[in-house]
Amino acid sequence: MKSMGQTQEEYYRGVRMVPYDLLKELVLAMAGVGVLAILVAAFLSSPDVAPVTIANWSQADPVDFVTTATGELAGTTTSAGYGAPYNTTPDAFQSWGPIAPQAWFGVRIPIDSANAYVIDPLKHASFTNSTLAASLTQWQAATPDQQAAWLDAYTTALADATVKDGNVTVASGDYGPLTLMMSNLLGVAQTGGLDGLLAINGRFYQTDYTQPLLFMGDGGYFDGLAANEHLSGDLWGMMNETGTYPGQTWLWLYTMWYQVPPFTSDTGFLGLNAGNADLGIIILMTVLTFLLALVPFIPILRDIPRWLPIHRLIWRAYYAPNGQAPGRPTSVKPLGSSVPPAP
Amino acid sequence: MESPATYLHWGFILISWPNLLVILGMLVVFAIALVAPFPNHGEADDVSAK
Repeated sequence: MKSMGQTQEEYYRGVRMVPYDLLKELVLAMAGVGVLAILVAAFLSSPDVAPVTIANWSQADPVDFVTTATGELAGTTTSAGYGAPYNTTPDAFQSWGPIAPQAWFGVRIPIDSANAYVIDPLKHASFTNSTLAASLTQWQAATPDQQAAWLDAYTTALADATVKDGNVTVASGDYGPLTLMMSNLLGVAQTGGLDGLLAINGRFYQTDYTQPLLFMGDGGYFDGLAANEHLSGDLWGMMNETGTYPGQTWLWLYTMWYQVPPFTSDTGFLGLNAGNADLGIIILMTVLTFLLALVPFIPILRDIPRWLPIHRLIWRAYYAPNGQAPGRPTSVKPLGSSVPPAP
Repeated sequence: MESPATYLHWGFILISWPNLLVILGMLVVFAIALVAPFPNHGEADDVSAK
């Protein structure tokens, strides 16, 4: 440690150093990577997949859209039962022992699936549609048991639904006002109105797509698009890109854990399993990050460079056995123009 | 480039070819960084001689 009154020159006297132009390397590296990036972009372009919207979805697969919307109304979709931060579904949070951040922070983005995706958009549409307004009134005046009976019957009928001119047709049955409600919702969605309604957040710039993403995620269409592009979890989707482009390969360390026990197991190990894999992997990566930061203090780990002296290969001129290799000065160089080699 | 990539499936290894090529490229760059000489290694860069 530098003692009081000791100059920099005195402090570094006797410390062997190698001259090295860090600024030159930085400039050359930036220039090289810049030219390479421009050339590769010119020849290969970049991924430019058209955005997926609710309008696309409802036009391409009307039955899936109506089935998902019916599920939202029934509260049976993934997002409807997700729990925090969207709703208060009991015990729908991941935890490991006392660690349960999803429960700690609670419902921060409240989304009532039935109202957000079906009832509220239909209320907007009913301003100029008295028939729809009457259907909504009938739905809201019905008892929960009656609503459940209509929903069950309609959901069952949707399994054999047909599409004609973009409209969904189901077999005759007692569905209450559901047929009319869903027909209108489908119409609003196909014109793009639902995309706008779900994206309204009261701010000048709209960047919050939570609601439409959750809605599309509940259906099968969005999932199918992801599977076609190899973006699903069983294909390590988090580190993939659309098309033939390489993805964010540095994410392999995070995605790898989802492919191996205990995070693939229902029973798990020490309370970590597939059910709390997201939380477990965050905890594991936090622990590993701390271990990486503490490597200089951890026996065995800190000794690895002595057993595998790769740095001696890089600085081989400095470590030349005759001691007279170039770059082995013993004189003092100003701080900033030299880097000391690794031990 | 817009069509989904093909995959290498070898035992438990399942990886897209573009990702594999990037990883191999990183390993090649690392190997080059180990063995390529520093530009000034061939020079008499002992500052005490300057």
